[in-house]
Amino acid sequence: MTSLKRSYASTSPSTTLSSKTYLRTLKSGKVQKIVREVYLRQDIPCSSQLCTACLDLAPVGFHKKADPPVLSATPAATEQLPQGHYIVPDTNAFLSAMDLFESEGVLQDAIVLQTVLEEVKNRSLPLYHRLIALTKNEGKRFYVFFNDFRLETYVRRDAGETINDRNDRAVRKACGWYAQHLEKAVRARKSARCPVVIMLSDDRENVRKGKEDGLPAMNLRDYVAGLPDANRLMDMVATSREGRAARDAKAQMIYPEYVSMSAMLTGVKAGTLHQGVFNVSPYNYLEGSVQVPAFDRSLIVQGRDNSNRAVSGDLVVIEVLPKDQWKAPSSKAIDEEDVNKNETAENEEDEREAIVTEQERRALQEEVRKTHGKGAEGRAQPTAKVVGIIKRNWRQYVGHIDRDSVRSRNKESRAQQTVFLIPMDKRVPKIRVRTRQAAELVGKRVLVSIDSWDRDSRYPVGHFIRSLGELETKGAETEALLLEWDVQYRPFPRTVLDCLPAEGHEWKVPASTDDPGWKGRRDLRDLLVCSIDPPGCVDIDDALHAKQLPNGNFEVGVHIADVSHFVKPNNAMDKEASLRGTTVYLVDKRIDMLPMLLGTDLCSLKPYVERYAFSAIWELDQNADIVRKDFTKSVIRSREAFSYEQAQLRIDDKSQKDELTVGMRCLMMLSKKLRAKRMAAGALNLASPEVRVETESETSDPIDVKTKMALDTNQLVEEFMLLANISVAGKIYEAFPQTALLRRHPAPPKNNFEELSNQLKVKKGMELRTDSSKALADSLDTCVDPSEPFFNTLVRIVATRCMMSAEYFTSGTQSVPEFRHYGLASEIYTHFTSPIRRYADLEAHRQLAAAIEYETLDASLQSKAKLEGVCKNINVRHRNAQMAGRTSVEYYVGQALKGRILEEDGFVMRIFSNGFVVFVPRFGIEGLIRLRDMDGGEGEREPESVFDAENYALQIEWEQGQRKVELFQKVKVRISDEAEESTGKRKIRLQLV
Amino acid sequence: MAPYTNIPLSPAELSYLYTSLSQTPPIRPDGRAPTQFRPLVAETDILPSANGSARICFADGTEAIVGVKAEVEQSRVSGAATGQVESEGVLGLGTGGVGDVDMDEEDGDEEATRAGKGEEGWVEVAIEIPGMRDDDALPVFLSAMLTEALLADGELKDRLWINRRFHWRLYIDILLLSQPLSYPLPLLSLTTHLALLSTRIPALISEKDEDPLFNDDWEASRFLYPQSKTASGGHRKPPVTLLMLSVSENVIADPSREELAVADAVVAISVAPTTGLNAESAYKTVALRTVDPPSRLTGAGVPTALNTTAGGTSLSAAEALALREKDQGQTVWRPPRGGVKRAMIAKMIKMVTEKGGVGQEVLEGLAGVET
Repeated sequence: MTSLKRSYASTSPSTTLSSKTYLRTLKSGKVQKIVREVYLRQDIPCSSQLCTACLDLAPVGFHKKADPPVLSATPAATEQLPQGHYIVPDTNAFLSAMDLFESEGVLQDAIVLQTVLEEVKNRSLPLYHRLIALTKNEGKRFYVFFNDFRLETYVRRDAGETINDRNDRAVRKACGWYAQHLEKAVRARKSARCPVVIMLSDDRENVRKGKEDGLPAMNLRDYVAGLPDANRLMDMVATSREGRAARDAKAQMIYPEYVSMSAMLTGVKAGTLHQGVFNVSPYNYLEGSVQVPAFDRSLIVQGRDNSNRAVSGDLVVIEVLPKDQWKAPSSKAIDEEDVNKNETAENEEDEREAIVTEQERRALQEEVRKTHGKGAEGRAQPTAKVVGIIKRNWRQYVGHIDRDSVRSRNKESRAQQTVFLIPMDKRVPKIRVRTRQAAELVGKRVLVSIDSWDRDSRYPVGHFIRSLGELETKGAETEALLLEWDVQYRPFPRTVLDCLPAEGHEWKVPASTDDPGWKGRRDLRDLLVCSIDPPGCVDIDDALHAKQLPNGNFEVGVHIADVSHFVKPNNAMDKEASLRGTTVYLVDKRIDMLPMLLGTDLCSLKPYVERYAFSAIWELDQNADIVRKDFTKSVIRSREAFSYEQAQLRIDDKSQKDELTVGMRCLMMLSKKLRAKRMAAGALNLASPEVRVETESETSDPIDVKTKMALDTNQLVEEFMLLANISVAGKIYEAFPQTALLRRHPAPPKNNFEELSNQLKVKKGMELRTDSSKALADSLDTCVDPSEPFFNTLVRIVATRCMMSAEYFTSGTQSVPEFRHYGLASEIYTHFTSPIRRYADLEAHRQLAAAIEYETLDASLQSKAKLEGVCKNINVRHRNAQMAGRTSVEYYVGQALKGRILEEDGFVMRIFSNGFVVFVPRFGIEGLIRLRDMDGGEGEREPESVFDAENYALQIEWEQGQRKVELFQKVKVRISDEAEESTGKRKIRLQLV
Repeated sequence: MAPYTNIPLSPAELSYLYTSLSQTPPIRPDGRAPTQFRPLVAETDILPSANGSARICFADGTEAIVGVKAEVEQSRVSGAATGQVESEGVLGLGTGGVGDVDMDEEDGDEEATRAGKGEEGWVEVAIEIPGMRDDDALPVFLSAMLTEALLADGELKDRLWINRRFHWRLYIDILLLSQPLSYPLPLLSLTTHLALLSTRIPALISEKDEDPLFNDDWEASRFLYPQSKTASGGHRKPPVTLLMLSVSENVIADPSREELAVADAVVAISVAPTTGLNAESAYKTVALRTVDPPSRLTGAGVPTALNTTAGGTSLSAAEALALREKDQGQTVWRPPRGGVKRAMIAKMIKMVTEKGGVGQEVLEGLAGVET
């Protein structure tokens, strides 16, 4: 009988077939045994420039040209290794010190083993992507060696061996092979200098075993210590596991343990546990909330032990606490910086480290008392505790060092010490960081990342990545906010710029209409088109025209820059744009989604030149109802680029009778009708505290802050853009019912408005109806205080905050009623009008172009899954860009107020039991006034106060007598700025006058 | 219609065979000793992606492959008790949360926690024989016999228990590759035995009543039949089902096709190593079935007195019947009427289970197959 078995048994040099067997548990719970056959090869090159034998093995690229070897022939030498060395980091090394490997100029010539790469991928996807980016960076000379496919370095898993041990062994084997291989190569070249192949590991055991095998293995820290500038580099290495392990022994566990992953999944499936994203309240760092599908309201997670090491943004699993522990949301503003001010970061000396410090306990206790006092009336909300974490969403955090936690300020001192880093984002806890450069870093903006948060540590442990510069310098602060909001701000890479038209700025619309560029385009050059934008706008997305038709109707055209002509799907530029998602506008800076050449020149609908455009043309009757609509690619020539003010002046100027002005007046008339119709349908008129910072033109230092003015022309442009967006949305949905990229604004859950409507009822006797957007719009109109014109805007600002945020989606993922845009009261909506600065618009352009059969739709736009990915990304990017812009304004407002003391009107927006929030419309700033700061003294004593939660009032007794602070009350505040002593950070300070 | 016997032997040949097998010691057509097994070739783990597999070729050219596959399945939890848990866990309000799912089971002896929790339906045997439908009598009967023997020890089904909510379902797929020359039961049983011996079940890493999670390392998986010694010093092993036949007073093991054609009675005896401490012998019978011998369907010989061509007289039907009864198979072949004496059964069982008996020989022989 001949055996039916495939023989893998003997891995002698002649056999090149092997197999590995493992189990995979599927999501459905099924378990699969998976057998993979591995074909081992001997033609995988080592890619060292020293080796001539492997040159012939190098894979041949597209142009029949082999890639040059990656690893340098003369790798860097150190004191310990004068002959030069290649490094082979293992998985732990990458996991704990990716920042170190990424830093420029050090740690070059590395061999990234396939085993390591795959392990990194399994452990952390973000780190994997960073590692891949590293291997593509030519300067770093990181080479991926497929050791698991090379015969000599393939390692079979032994019986009883854990996968980790097997992988470690594979790394060691590959190191050994490299060393031998290089030696042979060097001998063949008859050169004397043979680089050492060094295995870097963060795992002591692996290093020991490596040394046992006679390999030059090194602990990562020891290795870094031998490099120049070791202090800076050392900070980028996460606390090693040994260090942590050593502490484990004596430290006591202060946080509860997480339940196992399988228990969490079972619990979530069974409905006993819930899964959601952990969000920390910006006012109270001890209170977080988790929105889960099973509850209408989000669950409150109060206190450090309940939040159990979850950091804002993590995907957590929570357990609902028994009903007797339910609480009302905190009515107190608690700031971590103030509560735990004088803590020392060196916890080795702490004899006992409780999770909840005494101060924190006091701060929370009041809560309990209060809710109990109120009895069963039941503003209590379900509370929960975190029992496990599905996914950490830790990123890099920007912050500054807590000056008090630095022991020695001596710049010369290189002693390692542990300091606290206070993140800019108030919702993120302090991070404990070990560093040797504490003295240097004080007063700087620094970037850190969190490595771990163990049960025995009250705060997470992290490491420094780099310093951004002095606090409050423009460069550092701008970079900080870009990092904080994850805005990609590096210059466009070569590959992206290669996608630009070769003609550069010389590019012109082809003169001959026979040119392929004219195919399918309508010639609209004779239309009187103009653009209206904010002053100084260079990326002009849209232009308009209108003219009266002989039948009395109007022809109106919205012409949008034809970006999709220049950015073809799936090339490098498209990918970069889809990653960036949107252009980010800061006060003094714009971070473009597309390269300058396109954004400000070739695509931009500049006046007096011919440009490609995508036009939507309607025939509107006298009532601004649509008679006919038409979409076409076109060529236009804008007659003029107006600013809003200029356009307004031109329209208002009765003496102007030219055709262009007449057209603009038509537009104005029609826009007013459109707006009236929209309002009648229930569109909301919302408000956000927008201010504009006036900067000096040369230095862009802020000189003044102004609230934005809204002119009729703003609304004119807005109306027609909405019209275009809605029309296009209908068209692409009709053409692609499954994959149209649309934008929706979900109706807010009713209880979002509960608080506001109650406040209005109690304080002003007004009623807020929220059953539909129409009812809301109407009742918002009635919320008017005749004595206070700003009151209505204030209510609108608060109402806006109660809303959900609008989002992009693909039509196949939602049912038709869900398409609705609540704020605009439109059944369907998309973004079409700003393709230069928004990626969603670009995608809509492509879909519309396919819908009108101008071109075929790219495959990426037909795949629901791919589009969903795009939507998810641009939703995040969009929000981040808004936040970044807002933060930038805040910073500049702060700078503008620097050194000034002003008295301004403000409004009370929120009342806590220990303070209240005042909004100053003039500067669009919001600030917390705490009772204990009211005496002017540095928080010696809190003035006596009575907090009336039912009536939203706070009765304060202070030096100047009694004073009652109520919600929506207009107060005079003194605005000043002060540099906080502990951090050296400047803050705007509000004081009640 | 004449029954299809698949036996190309004449009554005279049958009679000859019967007589020689009735000798003391019996003379078997292939010269084997009464308890001698036919040589076989076997290998295990031939199917890489099955949990366990084996293949056996008998010297007569019959060949079978068995693949064992285990799948996680949700148990149907019985009773109102669990219904209550479900409803109270809807939002997890005010309950102890995780504690609900975990039962307060002590981490005691693994075997002990499982005892009595398995269900017989968790083992599924499917037999495929070329030329037959899967609902034909033979495959159905064979699979019933094999299943009965497998479940008889009561331990296998318990080993399939994962936790209160999940269990393994074991699919044993038996494939006969050749025509069923002799009765294929021993071949299929031995192959199944080997396949089950090589069967491995993923190692559980989740605890208690959680959704099961398994160690992804195949090497870490445990054998369905643990290879550790039992209390009595033997191994737990799946049973084998052997065919024994009687010819007059003789008992013969592992009958060939020709021998089956003249058998008085055929008994399928399933034997497994004993696991208890106080067992007298190392093997015990776990199941016993008589098999309808094909000899019953053979054509009877004609006594000389009735053979008109050989000068016999032609008699009336009643007289002819009386004559045949009187002959009792002495002069010509008469198909056996069925039935077997108690003592004969006892003898067969003894031959299988006794020390150095057929059972031991076979099991030890199979133990020599390298997994």
